[in-house]
Amino acid sequence: MTDYLLSMILFTPLVGAVIALFMAGDKLKYARWVALVFSAIPLGLSLLLVATFDNNILGYQFLEQYTWIETSLLHMQYMLGVDGLSLIMVLLTTILVFLVVLFSWEEKERPNFFFALILGMQTGLLGVFMAIDYFMFFIFWEVALIPMYFLINLWGGPRRHYAAIKFFIYTHVASLVMLIGIFALAFQAASIEGWSQLSFAFTDISGVAFSSGFQVLVFGLLFFGFAVKMPVVPFHTWLPDAHVEAPTAGSVLLAGVMLKMGSYGIIRICLDVLPEGAVAWQIPMIIIALVAIVYGALACIAQRDLKKMVAFSSISHMGMVLLGIATLSDIGIAAGAFQMFAHGLITAVLFMVCGIVGHNVGTRQIPLLGGLAEKMPNYAAFMMFGFMASLGLPGLVGFVAEFNILAAFYNWGLAEGVAWVIVIGLASLLLTAGYYLWAMQRSIFGPVTDKVDVSKVHDVSVYEGVSLAVLCGLIALFGIFPALAWDFVFPVASGLAAVLGVI
Amino acid sequence: MIPIEMFLGLSAVLFAVGAYGVLTKKNGLVVLMCIEMMLNAANINFIAFAAFFNDVAGQIFVIMAIAVAAAEVAVGIAILLNLYKTSGTTDLEEINVLRW
Amino acid sequence: MNFVEFAWLIPLIPLAAFLFIGFFGDRTPEGGGYVAVGAAALAFILSALVGYEILSGTHGDYYYDSIPWLTISNGVVLNFGLYLDNLAVLMMMFASFISMLIFIYSIGYMHDQGDRKKRYYTKVSLFLTAMLGLVMASNFLQLFIFWEIVGLCSYLLIGFWGFRHPKGDKASLAAASAAKKAFLVTRMGDVALLAGLFVLLNAFSSLDFVTLFDPANIALVDKSTLALGSLLIFGGVIGKSAQFPLHDWLPDAMEGPTTVSALIHAATMVKAGVYLTARSFPIFVQSTDVMLFIAIIGGVTAFYAATMALNNMNIKRVLAYSTLSQLGFMILALGAGGYLIAMGVADGTPITGSKAFGYTAGVFHMMNHAFFKALLFLGAGSVIHAVGTEDMRQMGGLRKRMSVTSITMLIGTLSIAGIPVFAGFWSKDFVLEAVMVVAEGSGVAAAIFLLLYILALATAFMTAFYMFRLWYMTFGGEEGEASKHCHGESEKVMTYPLIVLSVFAALSGFLILFGFNQALTFNWAGPGSDFVIGGGGYGMMDVLEKIFTSPFAYLAIVVAVAGFYAAYRMYNFKDVDPGRFNKDGESAMYQLLQKRYFFPQFYDAIALKLTYPVALAVEQVDRKAVDGTVDGIANSLTGGSQMLRRIQNGFVQTYAAYVLGGLLLLFVAIYMIGYIGGL
Repeated sequence: MTDYLLSMILFTPLVGAVIALFMAGDKLKYARWVALVFSAIPLGLSLLLVATFDNNILGYQFLEQYTWIETSLLHMQYMLGVDGLSLIMVLLTTILVFLVVLFSWEEKERPNFFFALILGMQTGLLGVFMAIDYFMFFIFWEVALIPMYFLINLWGGPRRHYAAIKFFIYTHVASLVMLIGIFALAFQAASIEGWSQLSFAFTDISGVAFSSGFQVLVFGLLFFGFAVKMPVVPFHTWLPDAHVEAPTAGSVLLAGVMLKMGSYGIIRICLDVLPEGAVAWQIPMIIIALVAIVYGALACIAQRDLKKMVAFSSISHMGMVLLGIATLSDIGIAAGAFQMFAHGLITAVLFMVCGIVGHNVGTRQIPLLGGLAEKMPNYAAFMMFGFMASLGLPGLVGFVAEFNILAAFYNWGLAEGVAWVIVIGLASLLLTAGYYLWAMQRSIFGPVTDKVDVSKVHDVSVYEGVSLAVLCGLIALFGIFPALAWDFVFPVASGLAAVLGVI
Repeated sequence: MIPIEMFLGLSAVLFAVGAYGVLTKKNGLVVLMCIEMMLNAANINFIAFAAFFNDVAGQIFVIMAIAVAAAEVAVGIAILLNLYKTSGTTDLEEINVLRW
Repeated sequence: MNFVEFAWLIPLIPLAAFLFIGFFGDRTPEGGGYVAVGAAALAFILSALVGYEILSGTHGDYYYDSIPWLTISNGVVLNFGLYLDNLAVLMMMFASFISMLIFIYSIGYMHDQGDRKKRYYTKVSLFLTAMLGLVMASNFLQLFIFWEIVGLCSYLLIGFWGFRHPKGDKASLAAASAAKKAFLVTRMGDVALLAGLFVLLNAFSSLDFVTLFDPANIALVDKSTLALGSLLIFGGVIGKSAQFPLHDWLPDAMEGPTTVSALIHAATMVKAGVYLTARSFPIFVQSTDVMLFIAIIGGVTAFYAATMALNNMNIKRVLAYSTLSQLGFMILALGAGGYLIAMGVADGTPITGSKAFGYTAGVFHMMNHAFFKALLFLGAGSVIHAVGTEDMRQMGGLRKRMSVTSITMLIGTLSIAGIPVFAGFWSKDFVLEAVMVVAEGSGVAAAIFLLLYILALATAFMTAFYMFRLWYMTFGGEEGEASKHCHGESEKVMTYPLIVLSVFAALSGFLILFGFNQALTFNWAGPGSDFVIGGGGYGMMDVLEKIFTSPFAYLAIVVAVAGFYAAYRMYNFKDVDPGRFNKDGESAMYQLLQKRYFFPQFYDAIALKLTYPVALAVEQVDRKAVDGTVDGIANSLTGGSQMLRRIQNGFVQTYAAYVLGGLLLLFVAIYMIGYIGGL
């Protein structure tokens, strides 16, 4: 049964996407049911995956390995496998897609195509986290990109064409740079080891002793590819545009899962295969991370559009992820991975909240809002919960991540004799609290706004409420019992840090 | 026996005439006919070399090419016919709806 | 059966109430008010049972139990558990007891608030949960978690009227702004506390109190690291307990309902800071400098806040400033007592007797303050409820209309002013005594403490003055404008808690005579010798002798009475016009106090004149420079292709000509290369 578990999780959504596509005409209303069923199956299977995962084994489990393209030059394989890090990302993806489908239950515009794209994207996202062959990794990486382009381009806001093409080209260019890096790895590995065929398997390449000059160079190529996806300053400008224009479901998956592909790649590929490169790039990575954190937070303060603010907050929080990873310590890497998970859950709430206000009130401009707590009490409660989670309130999942990232960063700073740099990280916590509280003060508190017509505004709908409530429950659950996720990622981080530590 | 150069010369002339037609004629039908002419120039070459080297493969290719050409002409004429129906002309310079 | 084994239930009881009221509160009477009261009562009863066991020493110095929460690295485990010693159970008991009384009072006070009652009782239940969790925590991380939840609850409750304020839109804007300010300013302190946690975690590889307070472990850690950690942790105290310079959120926090103010000032929130200082004593006393710093912050805050209460006309604000001032007293006492112990730790000689009394004084004052400040706030709430204004100029003469409120308020006033035999007298005297003991030494530090003593004495005078001023302006003299609309004494559900609290406010000081000081003591085995922190070994006669043979004790009484007398002459007998001293409100000093030493402007300037413009600049840079570069690259590419695409003119024949020409060129090139190569 568990032999084909990964493939089943991976391709069920794709099957669903094809079926959903055929729900045209008078069968249109069934498209959402198809989507629900075909996102519930991977969710159930991934829970089974978590249940049967043996946390005591280091390395990949549920391996599936088949020869795919075999020529005299190429040895490409269909290889799937998960370890603790991929496991929680797979879980995050299946949870978010299911909830997004539920959230978009009342999508009126071409629902069959809409849900097909979401399911198709799920296959791409899952494939990135499950593939343990660089070639497959790259293919799924690109597969995830395309449905998102259509989601933005067809269901987006007024500037959707600009945003969609910008998103696509920007991230695609980065992918190509990454592809060069991947090829460099494969060719160099073959030449060092004297293989007659090029192999792209993670397990083959991670054992190869690359020269340090090569490592530094290729780390740069791969890091650029991943950094654009995360994104870090200054390669971030596609993100606010894409988010502002994307439909809510697209934003949730974009920020919730797609950004994590970048940081996942850094941990999975950069740190694992190129440890010397990682050590050489450590200081630049930390500087970039700190800049991203503070820059993102400052940009948030200046935003007037609620959704754009949340988009910039993603930049700041993904900077936190990078900061954790860049400490190259077990706590830091594990905390970075945990923050990926935490941010996925939290940011989903945030974008749903932004989507609801845009849809129900008709504007997301903070200065035009006000007193929503009176008109939409449940909405205000969800918004406050999400904002509080995002600013790192203890007891919720974000705090565990931020605490450990900053603790790891302090340890690093102390060891390097620059303990004071922790101040920058801490200042960002203040800025984060500042922009969230200020936004709440202006949008949900105070007198009911008279700048827009709110007489017909209604509170969150049942479907929106259920998906938000489930997310909030998960945020609290993993905040109170962080070990549920932490214990999966820590062995991976510890293994990486052990290798990085000896360099 | 007729020397091979003769066949090659005929083929070259035929090809040049065809190419001239393709590049200069405005009527789509004429351009199509000129393309056929170029194709047949190549066929002649095949036949000539097949006879010269006593290799039957060249003849097979010709039969193949004639079959493909027939299909191609059918598609080509169909496109032209449709063009004529929709735009009322077969003048290639007039047909520019896909131009930048 | 040991009750302490069920101690973990204590925070869960109000938590259950929080969840129950949150989901079903609107289906129960009073929006879940009775549920909240019941939960607080249960929590109090269980706290009292556990407290009896701990205080009677059944479990030794402390009771500790924990389960692993998160293994963040190999060998570094963050735990979740209980650490119950005398200090913790004392806090548990008075927090749950006073919360219970406030909840009862709220049933009357919030009765007319309609569907908002559910929200109110949900939040206050969570508030109590967080406070209980905070004081019972077994490690700094757990403490920090609840510490922040306390902050969240205060944010929610201060902003309770952040929308649909009964007094209109302007008030709701003010409430929303005050809530934000409270959260942000205290978060500044919290961030420092977080940094302190990192320092300690790095040094000890643990955050458990039992590990951190173990002298063997402390000895292994660099002194300067400990001092840094201590100062950072105290940064959290400065924020939470509203010490200078992060004090300014507390007066603004008066925008919340009065019961919330009582809760924040008496039972929860600000007491958390004092608790943390007392809790961290074993680490703080490793450095005399840290303790000196703490004492200075406390002394300055006590004096500075009292000055602002002198001329304020808002009854709640006066009480808010008095809280600030009293918190300063507590911190000052802890700092002074800790300073001596730190000196003892430094040269290895235990400090005993009166010299170790500062800790007892600080904690004792915290307890007494909880009683009389809850009383004063609830009394003020009763008055506000009756007259509908917070402006004392419109009150006056309420003594006859509200007899219970006026008498209980008088008891609270006597207590806080430090008039003998009332609770405040005892603890305030100990505080002054603790400072004086250090000041009697020699050196620069002693001189500083002498200065702090003088400040504290001046504060005692001002406290008596402004509290009696408050009482006379509210209850004495002729009836003010608003007093005429007063509809009499509040209902019993509100006055009974006042009566109960007034009993404690009057009498809780006597506890010290019956060996209670033993409870406010803990043993800490320092390097080489055992330290007893607090007034251990003192019996009833020792305490009495200490107080009534010291000339400084009489000085304190004289000062308090003088304050009372000044207020009496100005606001009751009215033969001295207060306007004489401030040019009728025109003097610079008067304006400075009214403007709160321009601190609000200072905070606003940091937010609006510094941070916001920087943020706008970042936004501009982002759009113009960073994104501009991206768009620039894209535009140059599209512009270039605009030109190149002209070649693509759409004529197939042109393309064919290109192809043919290209082919010919290629052939020529190949021929040429072959020709040259062949040559």
